[in-house]
Amino acid sequence: MNAPSPVLSLRDIRKAFPGVIALDGVDLDLQAGEVHVLLGENGAGKSTLMKIISGAVARDSGDIVFEGVPVELTGPRHAQELGIGIIYQEFNLVPHLTAAENILLGREPKLFPGVIDQRRLVREAQQQLDDLGVALAATERVSRLSVAQQQMVEVAKALSLNARVLIMDEPTSALTTQEITELFDAIRRLKERGVAIVYISHRMEELFAIGDRVTVLRDGRHVGTRAIGETTMTALVRLMVGRDLTEHFPKREAAIGEEILRVEALRRNGVLHDVSLSLRRGEVVGLAGLMGSGRTELARAIFGADRIDGGQIFVHGKPCAIRSPRDAIALGFGFLTEDRKQQGLVLVLSVQENICLPSVSRLARAGCTQPARETEMTAQRIAELRIKTPGPHQRVMNLSGGNQQKVVLAKWLCTEADILIFDEPTRGIDVGSKVEIYQLINQLAARGAAILMISSELPEIIGLSDRILVMNGGRIAGEFTAAEATQEKLLAAALGKN
Amino acid sequence: MSKPDQPATRDDASDRAPSPGASAGGVQPAVTRSGTAAGSRWPRLFAHSARQLGTFGGLIGLCLVLWILTPHFLTVSNLLNIAQQTSINAIIAVGLTFVIINGGIDLSVGSIVAFSGVVMASVLARAVPVPIAVLAGLGAGSLCGLINGVLISFGRLPPFIATLGMMSVARGGALLYSDGRPISGFGEGFRWLATGEVAWIPVPILLMIAVYAVAHFVLRRTPFGRYVFAIGGNEEAALLSGVPVRRYKTLVYGASGLLSGLAAVVLTARLNSAQPIAGISYELDAIAATVIGGTSLMGGQGSVVGTLIGALIMGVLRNGLNLLGVSSFVQQLVIGAVIILAVLMDMTFKRPKR
Amino acid sequence: MKIPSVSLLLATCALVFSGCNRGDPAAGGGAGVAGQPAVALVVKTLNNPFFIEMQRGAEEAAKKAGVNLIVQAADREVDVERQMQIIENLIERKVDALCIAPSGSREIVPVIVKANRANIPVLIVDTRADEQALAAAGGKIATFIGSDNFDGGRLAGAFIVEKLGGKGNVAVLEGIAGHETGDARLRGFKEAVAKAPGIKVVASQPANWERDQGYNVFQNILQANPSIDALFACNDLMALGAAEAIAAAGKRGKILVVGFDAQPEARTAIQNGTMAATVAQFPARMGATAVENAARLLRGETIETFSPVSIELIK
Repeated sequence: MNAPSPVLSLRDIRKAFPGVIALDGVDLDLQAGEVHVLLGENGAGKSTLMKIISGAVARDSGDIVFEGVPVELTGPRHAQELGIGIIYQEFNLVPHLTAAENILLGREPKLFPGVIDQRRLVREAQQQLDDLGVALAATERVSRLSVAQQQMVEVAKALSLNARVLIMDEPTSALTTQEITELFDAIRRLKERGVAIVYISHRMEELFAIGDRVTVLRDGRHVGTRAIGETTMTALVRLMVGRDLTEHFPKREAAIGEEILRVEALRRNGVLHDVSLSLRRGEVVGLAGLMGSGRTELARAIFGADRIDGGQIFVHGKPCAIRSPRDAIALGFGFLTEDRKQQGLVLVLSVQENICLPSVSRLARAGCTQPARETEMTAQRIAELRIKTPGPHQRVMNLSGGNQQKVVLAKWLCTEADILIFDEPTRGIDVGSKVEIYQLINQLAARGAAILMISSELPEIIGLSDRILVMNGGRIAGEFTAAEATQEKLLAAALGKN
Repeated sequence: MSKPDQPATRDDASDRAPSPGASAGGVQPAVTRSGTAAGSRWPRLFAHSARQLGTFGGLIGLCLVLWILTPHFLTVSNLLNIAQQTSINAIIAVGLTFVIINGGIDLSVGSIVAFSGVVMASVLARAVPVPIAVLAGLGAGSLCGLINGVLISFGRLPPFIATLGMMSVARGGALLYSDGRPISGFGEGFRWLATGEVAWIPVPILLMIAVYAVAHFVLRRTPFGRYVFAIGGNEEAALLSGVPVRRYKTLVYGASGLLSGLAAVVLTARLNSAQPIAGISYELDAIAATVIGGTSLMGGQGSVVGTLIGALIMGVLRNGLNLLGVSSFVQQLVIGAVIILAVLMDMTFKRPKR
Repeated sequence: MKIPSVSLLLATCALVFSGCNRGDPAAGGGAGVAGQPAVALVVKTLNNPFFIEMQRGAEEAAKKAGVNLIVQAADREVDVERQMQIIENLIERKVDALCIAPSGSREIVPVIVKANRANIPVLIVDTRADEQALAAAGGKIATFIGSDNFDGGRLAGAFIVEKLGGKGNVAVLEGIAGHETGDARLRGFKEAVAKAPGIKVVASQPANWERDQGYNVFQNILQANPSIDALFACNDLMALGAAEAIAAAGKRGKILVVGFDAQPEARTAIQNGTMAATVAQFPARMGATAVENAARLLRGETIETFSPVSIELIK
């Protein structure tokens, strides 16, 4: 707050939702050409602040000053016209249109009224993409682009509106390492053009790589703004959670027992090629690999969600035919999916209905559900997992990401699953909840469960696993013990370099 | 259609109430405020039934208006009359409510009514005992519904397409089977199903009440009901939670067919005739009752109690407009307006405030 | 949130009702003009000019006879159950007499019995109620007012035979199957053409009384049998639809089109030469006769059990 006049400055912003104060007097200054990281646990108020800046939510009180002029944002369109763009985690693109059509959607150059100048459209859109340094043809259909490329289309779209401020919400959550590098290059170009960027991410490493300043929110309050060069990860975590997180990856005494699961030569045509692995009681096995290496596909095949074309699965030494998730669950499997909202939860149903979904038939007596027993069981899990919810009848869609993930976990605790497959269990979850989930994984292992954990965060895999498998091109490309694994070795195996 | 109840506050507001004071220690049972499970039950119960209260209020209001406008409305015989007239649509709408909560749609119910009607009538015409004929009718309806279900869950056809096809197939089947002619003239035993009374209450009304009682119980208190909601809310998540999705989807359409068959029983007994052209556009009336009753076409949300109120609103409106001597053109207009209004009311109700 | 939306619903309903109410004093909650009996005319549908004519005739007669007339109809001609509901509701409203043009000859019987029980006289118009079914159910009607559709069909058949010189290919567009009116017309027509061995009925398909279906079905028939000389349609709407199809096929004037009902549009078509003839039924007279008979009945007079309304061929 010492530089020349900021592009956008917020003063004493307040916003209350029924029953909750989401923002309680927050200040924020954005300078031209800076990457300003917004940090905070889930529920700290980041999203609300972001929505206020982009005009999607109206503030209760406080001032918004844009380029020296106080403004009253009437809606997202107004913010856009001023030059405030936002890129949500879920993109707002029309998949069947081309990149160019998306970039200039609603503002197409016209040959004469009612007729689009197709050539100028492509030329202008291509110019935007080239300026960003993206190797991408503007005539490509968005549905055929990778996530990273789609994101660039979003950035180009925002820039074509002459954005002075660009908000990016978790832009790297679905990107590979290589793509992240490219994204950062593009962000640096934007900085050179004087665009102020608000960058929201849960990945601490990233903010040191790309951020200039960082503002930390906690419980709707502004707890500090620091220059990146003058702070450390530990200090930021302390600011965020209001305490020290002593151990990032809590240690555990591994008591590894007999083999529970053995997979032999599992095959799914074109996706998985003769994958074999085994899991023992009390063991956490990490499954590393790049996106598209077949990790999720392997998990789904074992769980019976996808058909397999060959191979054999043994549970407790007995060969089993798993034809559906139902079969798998009956054998003691549990599957925490990568995408909670699409696959893990029924968002319109309550916490209780979600937690009890796999158990509802088992709990039923004489064909009737047992609401009292379900509530009891749910209350127990809510307490055990510290799920922050007003009660078991709250709709899951109203919970934060971390708590939603705990609801998915609770489902499998209720079925007493002892073979648990976790697919990216900490994606999009704040640091505090992450640690809780790590502790839970350890506890489950200590109770005698076998855990297969897929993760793209190598420190997490190395920190938690007893053994690590690396996949590449639908095959197991390497196996490491926890002791011998390093990020470099895992990455080399994932890239197929050994 | 946009998701009507996307909360603006997902990330920030809703779960801030209990303090995020989790320590870095083990995961011992924590005394968070979420432990007060019972205390939070009422708000949800209220939220759940508030929509129904609104619809119910609308029904009562409508009755009040009619009571003021005509002396013929609020008489026991007219109210029984309304209930009886509503029963056919109400029974079909139960099946549709299940289908719609389950995330689908069933356009074939009207044609299934015609098909089961003529099948049952042809059996009755052979002097077979009434219960067997009724079972034949219910069986024909269930069969059509199960075929819908199999096409949708195993054949992976979109429900709209599969039931659109069945709409035509069942109609054609009914015309073919009956040679295009109504089959009429049944014995008193069968006619009793429409004209009989038990304790002064006409049988169709009792059938309707029984169907709703069973349907409500099934939806709220059995695993089947829970799965109907779960599949409609998120089919993939339900599948990965071990719900036998295809089996239950098939059953839901089967149930819809069965209830269409039951409606055919009442209709045939009422008219003393089974027509192959019966039931045209009944699906639209049933969808209207379901939607007025607050069931979301997006799936995953809804209730049969709401549907009953919705069906009654339609029945009361039609009755009232007849009593007032209003033309059939205005009736169509009013019913359409009520559907739109009910859904608008729903959206305003669910939309988060800015 | 809840309260305002409910009141909104209420307000709308109240508005609609009061609006409708104002426009039609006879339809009000009370007895309308004091002392005047209420007579209801329930027709099959008001989408068909035939019944609109019937309504007009009934309204004129009602004014003269000093009765309050309520005219109601289902949305679709085939919706028997809906017509039954309307009649039930009118019974609840305690009208003094019911004139009904049944959507289904047999399906109407149960509700006639209900009216009997409420001591409301029933007058059947245009389409007969099935006599056997009526007898079996113990139902009674005061009178039937209508034309002899069988005779009408015969008139049309004889006309075609004469025009074609006793030789040629004939197509028929039927109404909805199992419908007494259409069946009678068809039987009359077939009896007439059966007398001429040179006449061949090459196609007989239902077009469900509707104009657009008349167009489509006849277009299809033409595809299969290009050598058709004459068409008999069981009502004018289908005949008019078929006439369009003939014009579209470039065969205007080459096919003899005979309809039924003598609607104004059909009369114009005959003048233009797109249709050859139609059977006149005088629906307005039917409506008027029905209301007059009802009024007489309510005054305590006795009426005939069959009041024929004449039928004639218009060329």
